[in-house]
Amino acid sequence: MRLSYSLSGLAAGLCCAAVLAFGASSGSMQTGKAPLKSAGPMAFGPDGILFVGDSQGAAIMALDVSDRTPARSGGSLEIKGVNDKVAALLGTSADQILIQDVVVNPISKNVYLSVSRGRGPDAVPMILRADAAGKITEVSLENIKHASVSLPDGPAEASRQRLETITSVKYVNGNVYVAGLSNEEFSSSLRSIPYPFTEATKAAGIEIWHGSHGRFETNAPVRTFVPYEIDHQTSILAAYTCTPLVKIPVSDLKPGSKVKGTTIAELGAGNRPLDMIVYTKDGKHFILMANSARGVMKLPADNLETFQPITRQTEITGVPYETIASLKGVQQLDKFDDANALVLIASGSSLDLRTVPLP
Amino acid sequence: MNTDKKPIRLSVFIRVHPWPLLLFLLAALPCAAQQIAIRMEAGAFRIEGWQPAAPPADGWPSLFQVFAGEGDVPAMLGSYSVDGGSLVFHPRFPVAPGMRVRAVFHPPESAPIEAVFEVPKAAAPAATTRVAHVYPSINVLPENQLKFYVYFSAPMSKGRAWQKIHLLDAAGALVVLPFLELDEELWDRDSTRLTVLFDPGRIKREVRPLKEIGPSIQAGKHYTLLIDRDWPDGRGAPLAQEFRKEFRVVPPDRTPPDTATWRIAAPRAGSAGPLVIQFPKPMDYALLQHLLEVAGPHGPVAGSIAVEREETEWRFTPREPWKDGDYRVTVQTTLEDLAGNHIGRAFDVDTFDPITKSPPRETVSLPFRTRH
Repeated sequence: MRLSYSLSGLAAGLCCAAVLAFGASSGSMQTGKAPLKSAGPMAFGPDGILFVGDSQGAAIMALDVSDRTPARSGGSLEIKGVNDKVAALLGTSADQILIQDVVVNPISKNVYLSVSRGRGPDAVPMILRADAAGKITEVSLENIKHASVSLPDGPAEASRQRLETITSVKYVNGNVYVAGLSNEEFSSSLRSIPYPFTEATKAAGIEIWHGSHGRFETNAPVRTFVPYEIDHQTSILAAYTCTPLVKIPVSDLKPGSKVKGTTIAELGAGNRPLDMIVYTKDGKHFILMANSARGVMKLPADNLETFQPITRQTEITGVPYETIASLKGVQQLDKFDDANALVLIASGSSLDLRTVPLP
Repeated sequence: MNTDKKPIRLSVFIRVHPWPLLLFLLAALPCAAQQIAIRMEAGAFRIEGWQPAAPPADGWPSLFQVFAGEGDVPAMLGSYSVDGGSLVFHPRFPVAPGMRVRAVFHPPESAPIEAVFEVPKAAAPAATTRVAHVYPSINVLPENQLKFYVYFSAPMSKGRAWQKIHLLDAAGALVVLPFLELDEELWDRDSTRLTVLFDPGRIKREVRPLKEIGPSIQAGKHYTLLIDRDWPDGRGAPLAQEFRKEFRVVPPDRTPPDTATWRIAAPRAGSAGPLVIQFPKPMDYALLQHLLEVAGPHGPVAGSIAVEREETEWRFTPREPWKDGDYRVTVQTTLEDLAGNHIGRAFDVDTFDPITKSPPRETVSLPFRTRH
């Protein structure tokens, strides 16, 4: 059963499409041990390169996971109790592991999990791979082609306690974009990092603001975001920590710039967007969003350009959205293929990893 | 004893402590005719009484696997070696204390052999970790209070914060979702400090959550920050005791800190006494540790920082005595007060206010001269 609601405000009008551009190489990488201190949000970039957000190391690591064999179409995946299975692989109990993120390799359709074995200071970061048969193996970091770039304003020696927790990573048109939140100042930067990384590569900060209804402006950390394309212009749809959903043209995301996202929806109190994907079905474009409290929402994305930005709280001009009742407890979401999404979904104390048809 | 038709299940309990130092074995009783046994030794699993030849086409896992936990679980990650004429499986990680482990060997020409090991539970670590301090120290907070810093006396475990931190109203009832419950949790590098942000959607003006359900804390009311005792630390031990911080709430503070209102007590030349700066209201404890720097005629001055008097006083003690002359304190304007107002800029800027049109500065310089 699907429930329809009205979002207060929204914009519209785009031709959504995946914006990952393929073709870059892993030529600038070194082969050796990848010094990952923590494994958090991930994203696939060009040519099967996996980007891993390393909050503890204040870095983004690009890994060549050597996984470029195209999958046959029509695949699916189901791993029930994936947390129990990962724990068993690692010789421990499920309460001693944390699954930080799951992403799909768009080429092979293999699923990658960033995992922490242990919850304490001696926790070990790991990257695991699940194939179509549900077999889970380790992506060894001991001798792998890799490159990394430090985040600017990372933990300065003068402030060992300051750390920026990475909350989302995406690759868009030759750049890796990184959203994070400082554990000290109410930071608002979205980092932009050209890829392939070189020795001279630096991550530039883009100041993200929230223009609150024509009057108030605030720093607005981005919690999660997804790229999409409208009339050959790539934008990101971003969820702020203070809940508005905004759109920002990627062309605005210039290093050092101050960008104010256009509010196109507000999700209301007590809810946090967790993950978003963009997809096409029956010639129409949609955004699927997993939320902490309001389930999985399906937003029409065809008219994002024509909707007027929300400028006043009293406006009820929104775009309708649906809550997908069959998808409860979704914690992670990624696009699997043109017809399916991958979800990490809570089922009692267990977590299941499976593909579901795009609604 | 079975010989060749059925799997032989051999359960052995290791009584060794501490794990995994002694980790000595005891595995299986010898398997009748073949005298094959699986032993657990120093964290590895060894097949005795069987001479491995070349690895089979499907690799050693096709003959020998070790499973941790119950049910339909995959074999543990690990590597194989032939050591002293025996096939040995080395788990990728030491098997966690309390785990039940099942090792299964499929000899090429006889029935499978299975051995079960139960790794002793580790002795419960003592509950010694405690909440060392919560900042802000003051017990009067503005309605738009932005965050707490919770300092623990030892590293904590991750992934449980939002089950263990609560906000209670004056009647002891839970305040619903007062904080930004980020799954990632804002820990420091050592897992001894957690930053707890109030939900910014309930602080920012004209944002829907604030209009729908109001601020997390309301002026004129009293609250208690409660931290549960059963929050496991980094060793798995609970805290020594629960923690409570009671506070009263006053109206929102939307006034940016102004360095012109700070009082600077200059130190005496030749002394190594502290430079003292007093603020008219508490400032962010963590940011005070590194957003103020002292420089003199010869460049940056090295020294130590102390934050006192409920974060209204910043004290800088130089490593070397002060020289006679002109110094300055450089303050990053990203320094925040308790409500996240920056120097010269409020947390949520009212764009109708012409003051905010002025270009932001990154630092403010506060000159002072040593006394005689």
